[in-house]
Amino acid sequence: MMAESKFSVLTNGILKQNPIFIQVLGMCPTLATTTSAENGLGMGLATTAVLAMSNITISLVRKLIPDKIRIPAYIVIIASFVTMIDMLMHGFVYDLWKTLGLFIPLIVVNCIILGRAEAYASKNNVLRSFLDGLGMGLGFTASLVLLGSVREFLGNGSIFNYHLSDVKMFAMILPPGAFIALGMLAAFFNYLGIRRSKAKKAAK
Amino acid sequence: MRDYLKTGITLMVITIIAALVLSVVYTIVEEPIANAELGAKLAAIRNVLTDADSGELLIAEESIPETASELAEFEWFPEGFTASEGIIYQAVDSQGRVESPAYKFLKDDGSEVFVAIGIAVGYGGDVKSMAAFVKDSDGVHLNGIKVLEYSQETPGLGANIANDSVQKRFYPIDSQGLQKSIKVDKDAGVTPIGDQIDIRKREDGIVTVSDVMTGATITPRAVAFSLNAISEFLEKAGVR
Repeated sequence: MMAESKFSVLTNGILKQNPIFIQVLGMCPTLATTTSAENGLGMGLATTAVLAMSNITISLVRKLIPDKIRIPAYIVIIASFVTMIDMLMHGFVYDLWKTLGLFIPLIVVNCIILGRAEAYASKNNVLRSFLDGLGMGLGFTASLVLLGSVREFLGNGSIFNYHLSDVKMFAMILPPGAFIALGMLAAFFNYLGIRRSKAKKAAK
Repeated sequence: MRDYLKTGITLMVITIIAALVLSVVYTIVEEPIANAELGAKLAAIRNVLTDADSGELLIAEESIPETASELAEFEWFPEGFTASEGIIYQAVDSQGRVESPAYKFLKDDGSEVFVAIGIAVGYGGDVKSMAAFVKDSDGVHLNGIKVLEYSQETPGLGANIANDSVQKRFYPIDSQGLQKSIKVDKDAGVTPIGDQIDIRKREDGIVTVSDVMTGATITPRAVAFSLNAISEFLEKAGVR
């Protein structure tokens, strides 16, 4: 793992280990917030900020925290950052906070964040942990935007509120649409992955 | 034993540091948060105090409140009502309620303008709307509304209530329309089109939303309930 280049640490989360479509982590906020591309973007960026900051902090203190209490310690750190983001957004980007307000506290229970803290930040140095958090966060954001765009397009005929068509399948905006769209996209990305690994094998 | 103490103390230190950091951030953002909340409320008040027909302000520009203390001067507490838990009035059919305080403004010609915030349950939670009612020689009419909180409504469906084009369908409503109580077209069992949209709204209190927010019924209904609650509250407070 240590041999990995810094660049691949960053891109890992975006493609190869995409948190949503490949690792299938953090499903609760994924399904709940992707009713539109804009909401997906807001949620994704807030999560990225928390993920990068918590990865840095946890990597910094990783040698000070006894093994037995590492999970509660990580949760305290993560919850503090989420509360901070919530307060800052409330004060400075009031309109965005109004639409996303309900979902921000959900970031605490997003298992990507605890997952990366446990699997990566607690074992790697600060710079790598930051890059890992950033990459995973960007991968999460890109997936949410993609999922949100698909649902918004099919359900409301628009993407980022930009009107594109008059087809309106309301089910796509409602919870069933979240499962359907997520399932289709996950199948598509896994198909690409399988095809690529088969091609590699054949080349050998 | 030493081990337990060590882990306990470590965890305590972590929580104390986290609490300290959070308290520092809180003191920094406390003021911006209050300002943002107040700013949103003041902008909404200005919005509902704009004449729905002429587009001009109902009261003089300089008397529109711009700070919390200026706003407090307009607070209005009618006799016979007591506020509990921020609610001053609960509608008879208990579908809507009115937030405390309500506000009262005076027009240049002496007629009164009442601004209040009504709350009713939407699809996912409370929907809050501010409304301005004008009392003049013709009775009480609804001048304007602004939906303030709809964050738990479905994006793309109920949350479309945020669009001004949707909110415009709720006002103005004449006094005869208010007396028949406000309802959405689906509940009234009619589908007005063209000029009828405006006429049925003003005269019968029928708000046509089915063409501008297809598929969403619960959210506009909640707005109608909250407006009725305010209207009922004003009537009971002697504004008629």
